[in-house]
Amino acid sequence: MGESVTLNLKVRKHALHRKRLRASQITHSLCAVTRRSRLSAVSGGIGDLGGDLLLTSVFIAAVSLALFWMAAFTLWWQMHAWRTPEVLASTRFSRPDGAEQVSFSLLLPARHEQAVLDHTIQRLLESTHTDFEIIVIVGHDDPETTAVAERAAARDPRVRVVVDTHEKKNKPKAMNTALPHCRGAVVGVFDAEDQVHPELLAHVDHAFRTTGADVVQGGVQLINFHSSWYSLRNCLEYFFWFRSRLHLHAQKGFIPLGGNTVFVRTDVLREADGWDPNCLAEDCDLGVRLSSVGKKVVVAYDSDMVTREETPGSLMSLLKQRTRWNQGFLQVYRKQDWRQLPGLGQRLLARYTLMTPFLQAFSGVIIPLNAAIALFLDVPVGIAFLTFLPLVTAAVTFVFEVVGLHDFGKQYGLRVRLTHYVKLVVGGPFYQVLLAGAAVRAVWREQRGRNDWELTTHVGAHLAAAETIREDVPA
Amino acid sequence: MTSTLPAVTTSTVPAQRRPAPEVRSADRTPPPARLRSSRLDLLLCGALLAAILVVQGWNISAYPTLSDDEGTYLAQAWAVQQGKGLAHYTYWYDHPPLGWLQLALLTWIPSALDPGAMTVGTMRLAMLLISAVSAVLVYVLGRRLSLPRWAAGLAMALFGLSPLSVVLQREIFLDNIAVMWLLLAFCLAASPSRHLWHHFGAGLAAAAGVLTKETMLVVLPALLVTMWRHSHRDTRKFALTGAVTACALAGFSYPLFALLKGELLPGSGHVSLWDGVTYQMTRPGSGFILDRGTGSYGVLQSWLYYDRVLPLGGLVGALLLLATWRWSVTARALAGPALTVAILAALALRPNGYLPAMYVIQALPFLALVLAAGTASAAHAVLRRWRAEGERRLVTGGRYALAAVLAVAAGAYVVPRWYDGDRTAVTADANAPYRAAATWLGSEVENPGDTRVLVDDALWLDLVHAGYRPGLGAIWFYKADLDPAVTKTMPHGWRDLDYVVASPTVRRDAVDLPNVKAAIEHSAPVATFGTGPDRIEIRRIQQAAVGGAR
Repeated sequence: MGESVTLNLKVRKHALHRKRLRASQITHSLCAVTRRSRLSAVSGGIGDLGGDLLLTSVFIAAVSLALFWMAAFTLWWQMHAWRTPEVLASTRFSRPDGAEQVSFSLLLPARHEQAVLDHTIQRLLESTHTDFEIIVIVGHDDPETTAVAERAAARDPRVRVVVDTHEKKNKPKAMNTALPHCRGAVVGVFDAEDQVHPELLAHVDHAFRTTGADVVQGGVQLINFHSSWYSLRNCLEYFFWFRSRLHLHAQKGFIPLGGNTVFVRTDVLREADGWDPNCLAEDCDLGVRLSSVGKKVVVAYDSDMVTREETPGSLMSLLKQRTRWNQGFLQVYRKQDWRQLPGLGQRLLARYTLMTPFLQAFSGVIIPLNAAIALFLDVPVGIAFLTFLPLVTAAVTFVFEVVGLHDFGKQYGLRVRLTHYVKLVVGGPFYQVLLAGAAVRAVWREQRGRNDWELTTHVGAHLAAAETIREDVPA
Repeated sequence: MTSTLPAVTTSTVPAQRRPAPEVRSADRTPPPARLRSSRLDLLLCGALLAAILVVQGWNISAYPTLSDDEGTYLAQAWAVQQGKGLAHYTYWYDHPPLGWLQLALLTWIPSALDPGAMTVGTMRLAMLLISAVSAVLVYVLGRRLSLPRWAAGLAMALFGLSPLSVVLQREIFLDNIAVMWLLLAFCLAASPSRHLWHHFGAGLAAAAGVLTKETMLVVLPALLVTMWRHSHRDTRKFALTGAVTACALAGFSYPLFALLKGELLPGSGHVSLWDGVTYQMTRPGSGFILDRGTGSYGVLQSWLYYDRVLPLGGLVGALLLLATWRWSVTARALAGPALTVAILAALALRPNGYLPAMYVIQALPFLALVLAAGTASAAHAVLRRWRAEGERRLVTGGRYALAAVLAVAAGAYVVPRWYDGDRTAVTADANAPYRAAATWLGSEVENPGDTRVLVDDALWLDLVHAGYRPGLGAIWFYKADLDPAVTKTMPHGWRDLDYVVASPTVRRDAVDLPNVKAAIEHSAPVATFGTGPDRIEIRRIQQAAVGGAR
């Protein structure tokens, strides 16, 4: 976006020089008049503009303003937690009082994860909370993982194993299999590679009791920002999402939940028939369904208490992961559960949030188009001004991201170097390309139709499911 | 229904401003969370506003004397309204155009209803709105900086009723509009809710101020200090970078505008932002302000002629506050305004800087605030300091007596002087000669559409309304020498003109303008209004051979 606009600028400048020369040749009267502000041509002399140019100008103005408002709203929401010190304080867990009343069933779906599973179970067992069970869900075709799980169950009575016998496996199906076996009052979900803080359950217990919540969503944070340029941006995305934006969603009463560190009252979950086994973003879907029927969702983020994860190992797997989420969002959008939301504002927020992949694809296509039109056609200065508006919001976003990275480093005691800031800024446009690519890919896959949907489930289900669980860190 | 977790406990969000209520004495009423819902504040502010509006509004078009600059800005606002661009002559980046764009907006409806009303005298009424907003903002800022109610009221009164303020705020100066934006920025920076977007808005308002009058740039550090003090440790980095970014990005729109027009850098055949800035930065100095006989000294004296209390008292107050920074709660709360005054004073004391008469305008609200804060500090010292629980009633009575004596003494010094100054402002008629000249030119000249007149900017719009051609018929006098677009139409110099309206400004500047000087020399007065150095002569060019390039 930035480059095209600067380029655009140079060309326009040349055009202006040409124009001025022409003008000075023709002019008979005041040169003041010929050199008058071209702003006035917009306000005073729209009639002077050719019909086509007028149409183009209106088009460019409309697109620029639309992009501007989209970016402005996104920015506004992204910065939600830092609005006031009070809001920031309210995003944290409140300190537990020592009492424990809630019992937990912690679901741990694991697939070909024998390497990390045992460590995760051990760490979960170190929780300070006294009343919980761990249900490890393994596939009937995955003996290695099953063996690890069985050994853990033999060592500690709090660990149980549930075997999922579905032909085509995915995460929602696995969790639905385990749901009837849950004895706790609250079901919690973790991934097999998660590092969970020992005091998390006590905090969640306290949150359930003091707020009367039906759902508590804890923070999830990618930590390995130094691994690559895209992991830096990926980490920061998580930071802004869990640290800030998700709280806004909770406050507004419409929330796409995260894939783990999420806790739901068991009766509420059963009432909702568990997870949607056909949705690619079952976590988001659950959140939308629950908040649409008025269930109370509470979000809390504490840098000590977050579940730490790692970014996808390669750019390609990041792209695939993002494509899946986007497609999942679109599916949730088309399921239309969000239409039950009582408030117009809530429905608009739902529409906008779930459409974000569409809008990203749209802006991915429209920004170059807009720039190209402004580049090749000489538009008035006032309109040219408008084409800079999306750039302005982009600049503000960049600045806040830099500050966010600084804050991220402070919160997690990580050393953020100058090169990281540079990577953050320079990588920005490329990451945008990646996001736009994933969005276009998702839209394309979704548009290829429902018939195709059946086909994909039939063909690559096993592989897709395995991949799904490996890279599953949904927001 | 969903919601976020309730706030932890208020104790984890410590009030950032260190002076917590306990530190302050009982008479420092902490400002209410919403000033709007405090009846007493509304009453006090409303009453003061009414008084200010009466004093500033009454007789506004007749006093003070119309200034050339007022005419310039209003004429450019008129040009904007007429769709003639940013000015009816070539816009040459003398100032950023936002100021008269706002003027154009403000006067849009009245001038649409009655085009003839677009003259300097009448449109001074628009400035009344600016003054009103600024005065209210001074009150709000005072309260947000933890001044007690009476002191905030005092600041508002000082700001709105000082004869110096009355004279300067009545005039259509860009500085007045810029000051309003700066005050808004300070108010937002000191927002009690410490909201991120309030700070962002403060940055935007500051940019609007700078784009209205570029001299506001120097006040920005003080604004930043205010913001720093009023933001919370946990959100400060977002708030401050947000504000700076907003200000910078909005400010860049001006060079961007020049760039889009191809006028950023100098080149042959066109004006440029670079040239405009260079001109402003290299204006010849007017001498050291304390050297008797220099231009700057004269400007200072002209301020002190109207009022000594606000400029000198405010200056002393600011120095006092800065000196007592370590001990005084009030001094820390008022750091922003005090720093503003200090910066402006330091700039005015440059050995050979250029000091325009309106320079003091940007200092007025801050002088008023620090003077009021100094008064509040003094009152506190007299009434509360070293006061033990069981202080003897006699001593307490003595404190109040002393306070009363001081208040009466201050009143006795200030009130008569201000009464005289403000009475002049609401009764004197300094502009009768201008009005008479405008009437004469509108009725006695037979064919205004074919007549070329050199006139100063203040009268220019009157002539345009009377039917003279804007630009080449009614000519800003100095354009006859300085604007190639105008001189080109005067191949025979003064012979191509019909009249020159020799107002004090024209006579003063003619010394350096050969064409104007020649026109005055080759003309004779046909009508004279007023007497002495303030008189306005309408002089007809004596050469009969009129023709030239009409």
